[in-house]
Amino acid sequence: MPKVTYVQFDGSQQTADVPLGENVMRGALYNGIEGIAGECGGAPSCATCHCYVDDAWTGVVGGPATSVEAELLEAAACEVRGESRLSCQIVMTEALDGLVVHLPETQF
Amino acid sequence: MGATSFPELQAYVQDPLDPQKPIVPFFAGTDQIPAHVPPELVKTCGLMFSPEFLAAPHDFMAAMQDNYPPIFYEVTPFRNSWFLTKHEDCLFVLRNADIFRNLEASPFPREADDYFFFIPQEVDPPHHRKYRNIVDPVFCPAGIKQIEALIRQRAIDIIEGFVDAGECNFNTAFGRPLPVSVFLDIMGLPQDMRDTFVEWGDTMIHSQDPAEVGAAFAKAIVYLRGAIAEKKANPDGGVVSLIANAEIEGRKLTDKEVFGFVSFLWIGGLDTVYAALNNIWLWLAQNPDRVEEIIARPDDIDKVVEELLRRYSVTFSTRVVMKDIEMRGVLLKQGDRVLTILPSANFDPEVFPNPLEVDFDRPRKTILAFTVGVHSCMGGHLARMELKIALQEWLKRIPKFSVKPGATIEYKPGGVVGPVAVPLVW
Repeated sequence: MPKVTYVQFDGSQQTADVPLGENVMRGALYNGIEGIAGECGGAPSCATCHCYVDDAWTGVVGGPATSVEAELLEAAACEVRGESRLSCQIVMTEALDGLVVHLPETQF
Repeated sequence: MGATSFPELQAYVQDPLDPQKPIVPFFAGTDQIPAHVPPELVKTCGLMFSPEFLAAPHDFMAAMQDNYPPIFYEVTPFRNSWFLTKHEDCLFVLRNADIFRNLEASPFPREADDYFFFIPQEVDPPHHRKYRNIVDPVFCPAGIKQIEALIRQRAIDIIEGFVDAGECNFNTAFGRPLPVSVFLDIMGLPQDMRDTFVEWGDTMIHSQDPAEVGAAFAKAIVYLRGAIAEKKANPDGGVVSLIANAEIEGRKLTDKEVFGFVSFLWIGGLDTVYAALNNIWLWLAQNPDRVEEIIARPDDIDKVVEELLRRYSVTFSTRVVMKDIEMRGVLLKQGDRVLTILPSANFDPEVFPNPLEVDFDRPRKTILAFTVGVHSCMGGHLARMELKIALQEWLKRIPKFSVKPGATIEYKPGGVVGPVAVPLVW
């Protein structure tokens, strides 16, 4: 099963198995990983699953999937950067096995 | 009223394996206003029940942005509570589940000596997420997508049943049967129970007679208990079976957990989608030019749904204050109740300029139709899907319709806001 590494704001990290077709937000929730709220459940209608895609992965993952994601990101609690994504909109594929995402200090 | 410290509340530890009724302070009426509430913030605005509210509830809740302080103390004979109307404040309350807890959230009666939680609504962190994980695969966007075709067929069948008549009472013809029908499908219960569930639900939610409410609830309990036993013996793909046979941390759920979970799903999905559909169809019937706009923009249906959910949010969310906290200079003390006035917060002009205008092209912001935070509605994706399909299939078959001439629209008092009847002609 593909793996995703979640790097907390304090630098600690956890790696979780995230099934193909599942999204990176839910991968965190199912595995009890803090730092991603995902409070709308992936509608998408909030920006509480904000993550920074690791530099090594931005080319594979790409930018916001839709204009809705881009608009929602503007309301994220922490600084929005070029590598910012809503993790509910990153769906696992074989190509994403080993993905590393960094989590912001807060989602609210 | 000087005593505003509640050691029993402070000491309350929630254990799903041994559910105990929390001791939540109760204040009602003008002679039970705690001393820390400033007199100038004591109001009786009449939300949910007053003639002014019932004349035009959404206009009333939009006007609360101007007519009342952003935080005030509502005094009624039923229960006193802080009312919050600012979008920002509602987000804060709903996102801080350690300060604002969801204790005794459901009004449905339970025996103190045989108490159970309505799950997951009344279970806070750290236990909350464990239950959500059981059903999330069904209720997440990808799960709901899998039953899209089934929901669509239910909607089509219901509409085709009355389309040739040229008229209907929307509430009973469509607003009620669609969500109940979909509920039965998801739960793995038979469709021939639809009318019975509709009847129980109507009585539980609408009756003013506690004995009638109790009797209807009791009938639903007997049926659901039987269904749970049946699904334990013969598991299937439905949610009753999923919950009845689920494990948390290597153990099966207890009977009380299973029952509290299943019965909450029954209560939770019953009246809210119904009310949202009724509100929205009334608006559509009164705004034929906007109906044309929706038909002309089929690719924007998700934007349409989101904006209509903002404009016609139907319910509220209450919390218990666990420790003293100041918001906007107002002291909320341990044991106080707060109510987030979600439809009003969706009219907060700082977040949604010109808030009463239905504008499908608004920049996407967090709407409060489903609350936010850990308790954010698990049925939100299902509700969106039902609304989307209802719009698509209805407008395909009945693109022009209006409110039946001579009909007067009245609203139902209480915690779910919507018209009593929406008679339509086409």
